[in-house]
Amino acid sequence: MAAYPILSARGVRKIYRTGAQEVEALRGIDLDVDAGELLMVMGPSGNGKTTMLNCLSGLDDIDGGSVLVDGEEIHLMPDARRTEHRARRMGFIFQSFNLIPVFTASENVELPLLVNGVNGREARYRAKAMLRIVGLGDRAGHRPTELSGGEQQRVAIARALVARPALVWADEPTGNLDSQTAEEVFQLLLDVHRSGQTLIIVTHDRTIGARGDRLVQVRDGRITAQGPPAQVLAEHFR
Amino acid sequence: MRLLILLLATPLLVIAALTVFDFAFRPTFRRLAVRNVRRRKGEAVLVVLGSLLGTAIITSSFVVGDTLNASIRDEARTRLGPIDETILVAQPDGLPAVLARLTATPIPDIDGLLPALTAPVSAATVDAPGRQRLAEPNAAMSEVDFNAARGFGRDPAATGFAAAGPTPSGTEAVINQDLADDLHLGVGDQVEAYLYGTRVAFSVRGVVPRLGVAGFRTQGDDQHARNLFVAPGTLVRLAAAATAGTARPPSALVFVSNVGGVFDGARATPPVFRELRARTAGLNAELFQSKQDVLDRAKEVGDRFATLFGLVGAFTVIAGVLLLVNIVVMLAEERKAELGMLRALGFKRNHLVRAFGLEGNLYAIVAASLGAVAGVGVGRVVVKATEAIFASGNRDLSLRFAVRPVSLVIGFLIGLAICMLTVWGASVRIGRLNVIRAIRDLPEPESSHRRDRLALGVAGVLLGVVAAVVGIAGRSPIPALIGPPIALWSLVPLVGRLVAHRLAVSVPCLLALTWGVAAFSVLPSVFDGSDVSVFLAQGVVLVFTSVWLVVTNDDGFHLIAERLSASGRGLAARLALANPLAKRFRTALLLGMYSLVVFVLVFLASFADVFQAQAPRVAREASAGYDVVLDVNPSSPLTADDVVHQAGVAAVAPLVQARPQYQLQGSTGLAQQQTLTGFDESLLERGTPVLAHRDRRFASDSDAWRAVLRDPALAIVPGGLLSRGGGPSRTTVAVGALITVIDPASGRRHDVTVVATTDEADYVRSGMFVAATTVPTLISRSAQSRFYIAAAPGTDPTQLARRLQGDLLVNGAKADTFRTLVDQSLSRQNDFLRLLQGYLALGLVIGIAGLGVVMVRAVRERRREIGMLRAIGFSSRVVRTAFLLEAAFIAGQGVAIGMALGLITSFSVISHSSILGGESLPFTVPWTALAALAAASLSASLLAVYAPAAQASRIKPAVALRIAD
Repeated sequence: MAAYPILSARGVRKIYRTGAQEVEALRGIDLDVDAGELLMVMGPSGNGKTTMLNCLSGLDDIDGGSVLVDGEEIHLMPDARRTEHRARRMGFIFQSFNLIPVFTASENVELPLLVNGVNGREARYRAKAMLRIVGLGDRAGHRPTELSGGEQQRVAIARALVARPALVWADEPTGNLDSQTAEEVFQLLLDVHRSGQTLIIVTHDRTIGARGDRLVQVRDGRITAQGPPAQVLAEHFR
Repeated sequence: MRLLILLLATPLLVIAALTVFDFAFRPTFRRLAVRNVRRRKGEAVLVVLGSLLGTAIITSSFVVGDTLNASIRDEARTRLGPIDETILVAQPDGLPAVLARLTATPIPDIDGLLPALTAPVSAATVDAPGRQRLAEPNAAMSEVDFNAARGFGRDPAATGFAAAGPTPSGTEAVINQDLADDLHLGVGDQVEAYLYGTRVAFSVRGVVPRLGVAGFRTQGDDQHARNLFVAPGTLVRLAAAATAGTARPPSALVFVSNVGGVFDGARATPPVFRELRARTAGLNAELFQSKQDVLDRAKEVGDRFATLFGLVGAFTVIAGVLLLVNIVVMLAEERKAELGMLRALGFKRNHLVRAFGLEGNLYAIVAASLGAVAGVGVGRVVVKATEAIFASGNRDLSLRFAVRPVSLVIGFLIGLAICMLTVWGASVRIGRLNVIRAIRDLPEPESSHRRDRLALGVAGVLLGVVAAVVGIAGRSPIPALIGPPIALWSLVPLVGRLVAHRLAVSVPCLLALTWGVAAFSVLPSVFDGSDVSVFLAQGVVLVFTSVWLVVTNDDGFHLIAERLSASGRGLAARLALANPLAKRFRTALLLGMYSLVVFVLVFLASFADVFQAQAPRVAREASAGYDVVLDVNPSSPLTADDVVHQAGVAAVAPLVQARPQYQLQGSTGLAQQQTLTGFDESLLERGTPVLAHRDRRFASDSDAWRAVLRDPALAIVPGGLLSRGGGPSRTTVAVGALITVIDPASGRRHDVTVVATTDEADYVRSGMFVAATTVPTLISRSAQSRFYIAAAPGTDPTQLARRLQGDLLVNGAKADTFRTLVDQSLSRQNDFLRLLQGYLALGLVIGIAGLGVVMVRAVRERRREIGMLRAIGFSSRVVRTAFLLEAAFIAGQGVAIGMALGLITSFSVISHSSILGGESLPFTVPWTALAALAAASLSASLLAVYAPAAQASRIKPAVALRIAD
């Protein structure tokens, strides 16, 4: 598969303002991500990992720089267009699952399909199929509060993947899980990667960070190191 | 009642004491409460606003009562002043004998006697170029010694004659302000008076205020007293020259002033009245407790209006309570993890309840204080509207806005009690949460309180059965109405163990609904004469049951939502339905708020529609085939021949009228003075007034009327003959009742048997019908002063009435068509219903504001969900639309439930029950009112929710998720 940058960020800056106080969370991020790449992002807490994910995915606005996804500058798009673009091209997985509590597992999973205009029956069929893939075929009718943490995260992964987005963002996807469940969930993500989808994972976990194609270190709002995970871990995470 | 107050007051006092104790000595509770209030000031304001409306409504009902009471009491000052008792002497030449008896020896407790002569007149302005002639048929010409009047009661300012100058002489007249206003007269103008078949002109020498003796009313049935004071001797001279032999001579009056001021003097009325009766015995004099009657009526009407508005307002208060519960439940759910953590840190359940209760009570105190003040404003608006309604009819009453401090205090305390009890009730529920489930935000399992529910179920069934049996056996409508539904609701947890939940809820609820709607028809003997409180209970029963039924069976909306979203275009609808369908308790509270208020509004609108639609029928049924009612001045009477020879008149039925007192046998109520009408065969020549009920021995209405003509011991009366003071009828006279007719002059008593009843409302104010020949045996003073007139073919009755009134001005003629009289009466009735609807609409404001408050909190509560939806591609437009649709779904469902219940219940009551005096009226759907109500409530709901919906759509996904994570 020919590698081309699915995401290209240049000089991305983000400033948080609280009253008169300003905190520069991102101080010029330059990053290219190739299609089909498994990119790991690591760094100390509060140094800008999640902010980077939000800004590069278009969830949050930026104060400077540019972000191209599939060659399109997402921050120049109006909100509605950017939202539509996000629906078509991206999937998201968060540490705290963020499932809609009043929907069942399959209703949660079919949401991205419905928002992309997939027929309701087709969406339900594909959602259930996706839930079977993540091992929750028998839990499709349950609400989030009736599922364990691991099961909820599987539902979140199914939701992120069901529309087959080109780019999947995962922010600490195993942070709330025990080690065994975390490994199971990570294996699911590896399966995603193997199927050709681009995956960007923010994590604290060295063992997970070590298993990407590339590892990026974020410190003080900047990318301070990137390269093969083993090398970056050895040189910058002791 | 005292026991009830004690039962309510005890927990309230315990809560209040705990609140004070915790605030003073439990710094942790205080800190938690105060800081949570301060943390979100905007929402605190919303909570207070939502809560204060209930107190405002309660306080305003007291304010309306205070105002009515004060206004009518004020009549004691403006219409009576120093007059405490009045003695009416039928013949002026009997006056010296009466005065001699009264002054023979001093009467204890009185400080003045004032003789006067009076006669009814028509007054008019004189013809003058360029000036429209004005006439007033209901005026009085009186003679009184002005110097004596000023000294009467030892307070000249209270008599109205303080600046009146000397007694008029010659053709001078002093008029009072009411007459001056009506005829646009001033000092120096000429005024003409028509009486005893002649016209007399006077020059206005002065205008006195409508106050005290100068404001005493002897004519008309409104609140105006149009008096023309003339030189002594005028009336006797004119009466002596009377052209009609049947003219009633002037009446002699003796005003009596008790020791004490305008209001305090009435305390001495009982002994003074006994003494006056003893001294006037055998002198053909009628005695009246003028001041005490006004004060009694003031209290009665004030209390009745306060009760009526209080009960109607209770629907709004219940809506307010539901909102408060909703707010507290949302607050608790939002802080569930925080509360669970406090439990984990060592807070006991009662600590949690008290900390949460303390915060709620801070809101309650502020809300009740502001609500009491706002209630004065609401009361003012209601009083203004009431005044406009009174002013539109003949019985206008100028309202004097009044608020007693005690009303404010009581309104505040009731509002505070409701808020506190609601908050603490919800807090107790919160205190039962499981620590782990709270921290992890997990739902409570279904089975957690199963045993409690079973016990409550058994107790409820027993309570319901007992209430039903006691209510039905004792003909007590409220227990009879609510007993069966309580038993049926309580069955739910019991049968829920055996059958599916949906079935366990649906069947009892359907049965309870059927009972709630049909009870009035099934047991008319229990529900006859039901007052507003019964309808309040019915509204609560029906709404509670319907809402429970609907929220249990609303899964069908899931299918609709799925169908909607199948195309990808109905995503907003799907999101909109998800939360209301998932959070049924909250949805039920919101639905209850809307349904309850809309139910009553539709109920009132249906009645207004039905009443208005009855006008042609009612007029036709009362008219006996005649078209116009003509009333003339008894001092310038007419014969039937005089009337029948007027142009455009085809036929005339003369009626004799008088004002005796009536007492219903077996009733403890006081005797009431009402109209007596004597009729002859001519009334029955063109048809008969239609009867509502008649004795079974008569085959037709005509038979009943003719029986009364033949038998002096029989009478026909309107069902509401003995209801007085406005508002709903309290005493209904039934066929077979025995009524004692008392002649006020002689005190003679005659019993008559009611063989039939006419329309309860008595739109043409005929009072009791007896044979004309019977009237003199019942009462000494009567006159042929009313005529039913049939218009000649081709003559417009309205034009005829107008012409008769102008042509017969000299006779003080007042002519109206039957239709006009009925329309006027129904119009006032409907205006009053509209006023109640307006008052009740405040409940809808609570519902709409409540929905807005709930949505504001929902946006906060669902921030994380909104962030996630936005992250996966839901546009801001879809999010905004979803919130608007959610509001529309709840409001629409609530309005639909309320409307359906309102229509079904009003149909049942109007068509099948005997609650409306036994009349089965044709039901009409008030489409216009329904459309207006639906449009107003839905658009206002969307408007109230637009701001939070827009706020939700503006939430940045990253911000929401960052906060969440």
